[in-house]
Amino acid sequence: MKFGPFMQKWGVLAAFLVLLGLNIVMQPQVFLKPDVLRNLFSQNCGVGIIAVGMTLLIVSGGIDLSVGSLMALAGGVGIMVMNKSLEGHAPEMMAVWTGVGASILVSVAGGLVNGLLVTVGRIAPFVATLGGLLAYRSLTQAIADGSEIASKSTGGLESLAGAGLPLPFIMGSNHKPLMVQWIIFVFLLAVVAATFLLERTPFGRRLVAVGANEKAAVYAAVSVNAVKLGAYAIVGLCVGIASVIGAAKLNSISSSSMGAFYELDAIAAVVIGGTSLSGGRGRVWGTLIGVLLLGMISTMLVTANVSIYWQGVVKGVIILLAVLIQRGQKAA
Amino acid sequence: MARLEARNVSKSYPGVLALDGVSIAFEPGEIHGVIGENGAGKSTLMKLLSGVERPTEGAILVEDSEVHWHGVRESIDAGVVMIHQELNLVGTLTVAENIALGREPRKGLALDHKSARETAKRLLTEVRADISPDTMLEDLSIAGQQLVEIAKALSYEAKVLIMDEPTAVLSERETTALLDLMERLKSRGTTVVFISHILEQLIQVCDRITVLRDGQFVATLPKGECDEATLAKLMVGRELADYYPTKTPSWKEEVVLDVQGLQVPGHTKDVNFQVRRGEIVGIAGLVGAGRTEAAEAIVGLRKSAGSISYEGKPVHFTSPRQALEAGIAYVSEDRKLLGLHLTRSVGENITLANLRAYGSLLLDRKKEQQHIEHWVKEIQIKVSSPDVDVQTLSGGNQQKVSLSKWLDTQPKLLVLDEPTRGVDVGTKSEIYYLVRKLAAEGMTFVVISSEMPELIGLCDRTVVLREGRTVGELTGEDMTEEKMMMLVAGVDA
Repeated sequence: MKFGPFMQKWGVLAAFLVLLGLNIVMQPQVFLKPDVLRNLFSQNCGVGIIAVGMTLLIVSGGIDLSVGSLMALAGGVGIMVMNKSLEGHAPEMMAVWTGVGASILVSVAGGLVNGLLVTVGRIAPFVATLGGLLAYRSLTQAIADGSEIASKSTGGLESLAGAGLPLPFIMGSNHKPLMVQWIIFVFLLAVVAATFLLERTPFGRRLVAVGANEKAAVYAAVSVNAVKLGAYAIVGLCVGIASVIGAAKLNSISSSSMGAFYELDAIAAVVIGGTSLSGGRGRVWGTLIGVLLLGMISTMLVTANVSIYWQGVVKGVIILLAVLIQRGQKAA
Repeated sequence: MARLEARNVSKSYPGVLALDGVSIAFEPGEIHGVIGENGAGKSTLMKLLSGVERPTEGAILVEDSEVHWHGVRESIDAGVVMIHQELNLVGTLTVAENIALGREPRKGLALDHKSARETAKRLLTEVRADISPDTMLEDLSIAGQQLVEIAKALSYEAKVLIMDEPTAVLSERETTALLDLMERLKSRGTTVVFISHILEQLIQVCDRITVLRDGQFVATLPKGECDEATLAKLMVGRELADYYPTKTPSWKEEVVLDVQGLQVPGHTKDVNFQVRRGEIVGIAGLVGAGRTEAAEAIVGLRKSAGSISYEGKPVHFTSPRQALEAGIAYVSEDRKLLGLHLTRSVGENITLANLRAYGSLLLDRKKEQQHIEHWVKEIQIKVSSPDVDVQTLSGGNQQKVSLSKWLDTQPKLLVLDEPTRGVDVGTKSEIYYLVRKLAAEGMTFVVISSEMPELIGLCDRTVVLREGRTVGELTGEDMTEEKMMMLVAGVDA
């Protein structure tokens, strides 16, 4: 394979491995620790799950800017429902799972609203979801009066993010078997499920068809609106899961910072991963690498004591490089 | 001295020798036709002649001196301008802005709108286009846009004008106007290179016609020696005695589709016709007669009023999905935009309309692969693998993919809209035979076409539309070009 097509296909993986290699050489005391690699996953699995859903949506020619705000709203509502339930003396875990259900209900509903605006309302996806970006954030802040929505759970909610599976042979830095949180498995499961959906199901095929040429899809008797609605609902579901993870990590929801800029991070990961922003072509594993790459840059800069204010510059450059490397040779 | 010449040019792409030592010379003031089946190397040759690509071997010469163009800009500067099948204009700019695009006249720093408009006006008069320079390009018909493209070419003071299938999208009247324009350009000394599939038109205007086959030069014939039979034989490399299949009537009395008083707002007023089981019914008419719109209304792509009954029951489909479930499929005339997903693989395109057959939750990829292979073999889609993108295929093979997509749904009634547009002679004939064979097996066809010989050669019966109304019907011996033309154009016998 020639260099150009090779980079187009594997460039993002190569970039990730090169950067990882560099980090291991430059900061072996940090990057050779299994904890650090595990944290790369656990710290980024919220935005990662959203990015996975976003990949499917972008493949279908859509986009969702409201994910970060919807995540805050869904998380907030979830905690409130859980608190109410705890006040009613429900068993701790039952209350927690009721809250989880509420979060997912809210976020899927939010996704469906976006989908309806785009399909029935015929509003361009960018604009339709821009409304959500502003409205959901503001609604959350109004509910929380600008501050945070604190959980009344005593450890139950936190256990969702904290509990995990200890790996028998790999030792963490505390000399105990390395604990891999369940949320990491949830993230990986989302990657596998989305890959499967995209490549092995009729729905996935239709997503691609709608994104590649919507008009031709209409003529090919594809129910375009149903497909789009499905894609937005999937993003909603992913946002719901991410909101639970976010709430569980902090045992509260900050109405202003929970999920802030997640829409951009998720879209960045998708684009870095090689999915075409104009739709019709995409891959979920690329998004996974994109998420890890962005996460690693943050870790790298923090451990190298680079000011946090430089992160944006580095990420911006990486995104541009990724797009340049993967830009296809135009068919003559 | 030839104005533009290809001398012994070859062009190879990875794994393919697209052109093999072709020599061809274009003289000043001639209309030179270039023909060949899809894959014969026409487009490759044109890419070399217009500077899009460079030959692997051999040379391109302008007035006897060799040129090494890097891109279209340089060939245009040398006076060689190509007008592509897909017009390269900007829909949201005015006609004048389009003509001036890239070389806008200026007054100091500002654009000189006045001078741009005047230039446009002069050029449009020259091509005898009754178009205002201030019209938005997207508001023009395809024919109008093409005239703007030609006017733009003239603004480069083109000495050689290469036109790739310019008449493919034009109605008969527009075609006549374009052919006239070619003659006028010729009389001013411009060289016109005319690429077309429609032999009749080539024979009418060309001074010489060059035939290519399988990337090689076959012959250049002067005007007197060109007739359809000779050209077709040279192109295909064999006799075309049985271009159309024998009409063995296979239809039964049962009326499958009965369309009465179909109205599509803005397009048709009163379309009436019936189709019997196993019959091949043609629909003739000019561009704008409402043929495509009527077909789209029948399969639920457009809103309509009137009555449609299918298999004896009144129906009113509101989506192609409903029509498909009833067994009616529509193959669009616009293959590139509506009929296919060009950036997706041959296989994906073939099964797209029938995904339900491969599982509701999970794709049965083995079954899917079997069906794809079946169609590739059955109707001979020439492709190295079903995984390649459809856009890499020739027009004829693309059309076969488009057909397979619908055949895979096992329709009972198939509406074909311009089934052989932009398709080479050999493939055309294959499509005719396929349609006839399927009809004999019980499938019913409605064939919309602008090519009268096609309707006459293929169909059992032809319904003629004019200005949105059914104006007549021709069967058997009555199906002649003359009678059809009269009905189509509304001239009394």
